[in-house]
Amino acid sequence: MSKYFYIALTSIRSRLAYLGELGSKTIFLFVVLYIFLCLWKVTYAETNQSSLGGLSLKQMLWYLVVTESIIMSLPTIATLVDQDVRTGALAMQLVRPMSYPLNMLAQTSGERVLSFALNFLVGSIIALTFVGPLDFNISGIAMFLLLIPLSFALDFTIYFLIGLAAFWLEDTTGLTLIYSRMTMILGGMLIPLELFPDGWQQILRVLPFSAIVYGPARVFVTGDLQVFLSVLIQQIVAILVFAFVIRIVYNLALRRVFSHGG
Amino acid sequence: MSWLTSYANLASAYIKINFKSLLAYRGAFISQMVAMFINDFVWIAFWCLFFTRFPVVKGWGVNDVITLWAIAASGFGLAHMIMGNALALPGIIMRGELDSWLLYPRAVLPHLLLGKSSASSWGDFLFGIVVYVIFVKPDLPHFTLLMALICSVAVLFVGFSVFTGSLAFFMGSAESVSTQLRIAMITFSTYPSPIFQGFVKILLFTLLPAMFVSHLPVSALRNMSMIDALYSFGGALGVLFAGIIMFYVGLRRYESGNLMEMRG
Repeated sequence: MSKYFYIALTSIRSRLAYLGELGSKTIFLFVVLYIFLCLWKVTYAETNQSSLGGLSLKQMLWYLVVTESIIMSLPTIATLVDQDVRTGALAMQLVRPMSYPLNMLAQTSGERVLSFALNFLVGSIIALTFVGPLDFNISGIAMFLLLIPLSFALDFTIYFLIGLAAFWLEDTTGLTLIYSRMTMILGGMLIPLELFPDGWQQILRVLPFSAIVYGPARVFVTGDLQVFLSVLIQQIVAILVFAFVIRIVYNLALRRVFSHGG
Repeated sequence: MSWLTSYANLASAYIKINFKSLLAYRGAFISQMVAMFINDFVWIAFWCLFFTRFPVVKGWGVNDVITLWAIAASGFGLAHMIMGNALALPGIIMRGELDSWLLYPRAVLPHLLLGKSSASSWGDFLFGIVVYVIFVKPDLPHFTLLMALICSVAVLFVGFSVFTGSLAFFMGSAESVSTQLRIAMITFSTYPSPIFQGFVKILLFTLLPAMFVSHLPVSALRNMSMIDALYSFGGALGVLFAGIIMFYVGLRRYESGNLMEMRG
């Protein structure tokens, strides 16, 4: 297990060498958060409500800080797997004394943790500047810190599966785009699930998208124990299901690997 | 006049060649178009959801936002399906790849911009028109004005890309700055303009001229206001003019990369 930990650590250290590049992406985060602040300010004022979907304006901006940080920290998991399959680099990975899926998980998780931390830091500064601090409680932060790695792990399993589709499909970029956009819209990145039409909410709560984006963000801003428990169960079940599917698909895919010396 | 006809012929020839070269990789071209279609549609879905819950935002309804997306997406698409090199300008300057373009007996900037077509931009262009026709169901005058405004916004996006791309003459590595500015411009352009007030509104009429994509064209279409349409055209030409000046002033500082390059 320690080798995967060191792979993740190495990934973080190599990304740290390109901190400027990571930092430049936070300009976009600033723009997006500022625009959403303007949009929600107007919406709260026009509806004459102090709370929408159970969130105050301050909570709404902090909610968006978390959701945007999760989405913007995404590494190119599916593209990496796709390239390994297409270029044949996967054959080189298979001879190493480690599991390819776990190696990829460690590698991309290191990158994601660093990117998330940076985005979250910048987002927090923006939120502090515009709406001030959130009423944090320690238990809420602890619950959030437990959900975030599971959220990344769940997201990884789905992107990894999409990457594996390169064994059968000519191009996986379309699938990647569709999944990423579904996560954005159905995962509650732009609007909390409570503001979706009533009929949609029950369905969206059981889909994996909400366990990746909405759940951790909601728990962070509200510290709601009930939401935490349901999201935690949803994440664990979804990770187990997708890990099982990966196992089957990966074994099927390996039968299609042909390598030769050289 | 003959100068204009000559460049129109050049543009037409480049569009045909670029389209044919995109079709050489038909699968990739179609998948990029479809991907952009889906990407844009997600935003329309977001706004439909938003306006289902909050029907009016500062006087804007869902049809106004769909109009905004139609103009912005098609304008951006038209700009870069014809002048795709506008997006690559900072990299071309930075790597010293302007050399081959300087050798042609044509004005450098228009010729360079026409040299490439962005595949995904075709998806943007079609998306805007399709979504406007399906959701807003325009009559002929509205549709005609929409097409004119798409051209205006396309001119603005080309001008803005040239302006930000030309920063590379002064800064060296300007790819990241140029991309961030362009993304900021697009992002501000795709939200209802009345939510921005004060200093930001001034900024959006000047340094990041998003109001000439969102506020004025939507107002022109909603009220069939020729004045707003003229302001949109005026703003777009102003941005293009600023971009051209920036490019040619910067070109004096250009140093050859001594690259051997072949253009097929």
